[in-house]
Amino acid sequence: MKKFLIKVNGNQYEVEVEEVRADGDLAVPAPAAAPAPKVEVPRAAPRKNIEVPAGSKTVNAPMPGTVLKINVREGNAVKQGQVLLVLEAMKMENEIAAPLDGTVASVNVETGASVNAGDVLVSLG
Amino acid sequence: MATSDKINELIERKEKVEMGGGEAAIGKQHGKGKKTARERIEGIVDEGSFVELDVFVETRSTDFGMEKKKTPGDGVVTGYATIDGRPVYLAAQDFTVIGGTLGEAHAQKICKVMDMAVKMGTPFIGINDSGGARIHEGINALSGYGDIFLRNTHASGVIPQISLIMGPCAGGACYSPAITDFIFMVEKTGQMYITGNSVVKAVTGEDVTLEELGGASVHNSTSGVAHFKNSSEDDCIADLKRLLSFLPDNNLSAVPSIQCTDDLNRICGDIEDLIPAEPNKPYDMLDIISRLVDGGDFFEVHKYFAQNIIVGFARINGSTVGIVANQPKIKAGSLDVDSSDKGARFVRFCDSFNIPLISFTDVPAFLPGVGQEHSGIIRHGAKLLYAFAEATVPKINIIVRKAYGGAYIAMNSKTLGADMVFAWPTAEIAVMGAEGAANIMFRKDIANSDNPVQTRQEKINEYRTKFSNPYVAAARGFVDDVIDPATTRPRLASALEMLKSKRENRPSRKHGNIPL
Repeated sequence: MKKFLIKVNGNQYEVEVEEVRADGDLAVPAPAAAPAPKVEVPRAAPRKNIEVPAGSKTVNAPMPGTVLKINVREGNAVKQGQVLLVLEAMKMENEIAAPLDGTVASVNVETGASVNAGDVLVSLG
Repeated sequence: MATSDKINELIERKEKVEMGGGEAAIGKQHGKGKKTARERIEGIVDEGSFVELDVFVETRSTDFGMEKKKTPGDGVVTGYATIDGRPVYLAAQDFTVIGGTLGEAHAQKICKVMDMAVKMGTPFIGINDSGGARIHEGINALSGYGDIFLRNTHASGVIPQISLIMGPCAGGACYSPAITDFIFMVEKTGQMYITGNSVVKAVTGEDVTLEELGGASVHNSTSGVAHFKNSSEDDCIADLKRLLSFLPDNNLSAVPSIQCTDDLNRICGDIEDLIPAEPNKPYDMLDIISRLVDGGDFFEVHKYFAQNIIVGFARINGSTVGIVANQPKIKAGSLDVDSSDKGARFVRFCDSFNIPLISFTDVPAFLPGVGQEHSGIIRHGAKLLYAFAEATVPKINIIVRKAYGGAYIAMNSKTLGADMVFAWPTAEIAVMGAEGAANIMFRKDIANSDNPVQTRQEKINEYRTKFSNPYVAAARGFVDDVIDPATTRPRLASALEMLKSKRENRPSRKHGNIPL
C-alpha cells in the first residue's frame, strides 16, 4: 500500500494505491508494467466554496478519518449533544455532537470525504 | 482604662478587621456576583467551626503611601475549621482589601496555615481572588510567592491541597494553584493567566477577552489547568465538599469509608448489553462505571479535558477508589498527549494518598499522527506508563474490549504491576486490530492470491478467531481471570478486600525521574 498526496486545483487529496498482481508474479515489478493498480480515490473531497459564515462556531474533526454519515443540513436547528455526523476513525464510528444549541450554518463536508484533524466539518450559527 | 473598656476595644478592633475593605468595597464585590472572603469560608465550613488566625496582621510597608493605607488582615483571611466534622486549614484572599494583592504579611499568613496543615496532617484549601503581587512591596511581595510555592511543593503528596479560583489569579500567583492537587474555577469570575490580555495584545497582537484567555471554560477544556468548572460559588462549594468526602486527611491516614448500602454481590445483568457486538461501534464507558460502583455515585475529575480518558472517584464497599477508564466514544478511546497527562496525574494523586486504582481498558492505540508525534506522544505517553508502574496502591484492571499494542501495556497491565487483571469475554487483547495485523503478516499471501479481497478477509477472520479474544493473554497469565461482566461488582469488591494488606517495597531512592 502506498500513499500519495496529490494536489488538484489547490485541493490536496490523499490517495492510497495498492498493487494487485493477477498473475501472482513475485518478480520486482516495474511500476510502468504493473497491471492497473487498484486506486482508492477518496470517494468525495471536502466541498469547495463552502465558507464558514462569519461569527459562527465551527465543529472540527478531532482526528483524521472518513465521514460516514451526515445527519444534518444547513438551516437545521440542533440541540447541544445532538449527533451531527459520524466520523469513522481509528476503526471506530465516532459520533460528532453539537457543542451547543444552534442552527447549522454550513455543512463543509460530504459523505465519504476524508478529513484531517482540525478540518471544519460543520459550522453552527 | 477599665478591663471592660479593654475588652470593648478588642471587640471594636476585631469588628473593624472583619469589615475588610469596608462597606463600599464589599458592595462592589457583591455587585460582581462574588462573595467576600469571610462569606466564602462560612459557606464552606461547618457552622461556627471557623477559627481565624492572624486577625491583626497588617502590612509594615511604608513606601509609596502605604503607611497611610489600612490593610486589615493584609488582604487574606486564614484559619482552621471543620468540614463535615473533619479538620481543614484555609486561606481566603480578600479582594476588598487593596484588591486582595499579595504583600509580605499576606504571604506570611498563608504560609503559617500551610505549615500548620502539614504538621497536623489536614487538607489545605486556598481561595484565590487577588490582583496579584502588591507592587508597592516590591521584591518582598515576590518572595512571598516563592515562600508559598515552596510550601505547596513540600506539602504535595503529604496533604491534599485544593484551590478555588473565585476571582482573578494572575501572573506568578497561578503557580500556587498549579502545584496543588485540584483546581476549581467559577465561571465568569474565576480567571487564571500568566500575562493579561493587554500584554498579550502588545506582544503578539492577539485580541482576546480575559474570559477567552483564561476563563473557567478554557482551563477546564483546552488547557487542562483546572479540574472543575462551576456555574456559581455555591455550586463550587458543593463540589468541593463532595471531593473532600472521597479524600483522606493525609498520606498516612486511611481512605474515608462510609456505610455501604449497595449490595456487594449485586449482579449487573444488563451490563453486557452496553457493549456493542461490532468492535467499531462506540458506547459510553460512564454507563459501565456507574453500574458497578456503590450507588452509581461517580465523581468525575477533569470532566471537560481530554475526554478520551475518564478519571474520578467512587466507592466500593463504602471505601474510596480512583477510577481511570478509556472512553471509546471520544477519539475511539485512544491515548493521546493530553489524555496521557490527565491519566498520569490522577494515578499519582491516588498513589500518594493510598487510594486503590481500578482501570477500565478499551484502548485501540496511542493516537497516530504527525501532530501527536511532534507534540511528544512518546514523552507524554511515558508518563502514564510510569505512573501506573510506579504506583504501589492496590491496582485492578478490567479489560472491557480492545487492549491493543503499547496502549494495552500502558493501561495498568499485568506486566506493569497490576495486582489483578480481569477480562470480559468481549476483550480483544492483541498486538493490534485484526485488520491491521492481517495486512502486515499476510501481505504476501494476499498479494499472491488470485482473489486478494477474499484472501484478506479470510486472514482477518483467522487472526480474529485466534487472537482477538482474552484467552491467549489468559493462557500466559497476563489476565488473572476471564469473568462474566455481570459478576464484575462482586469480583471487584472481593479483590479490593484481598488487596487491603498489600505492601510493596522498592529500593530507597530520593525520587524517580518521571518523564515530564
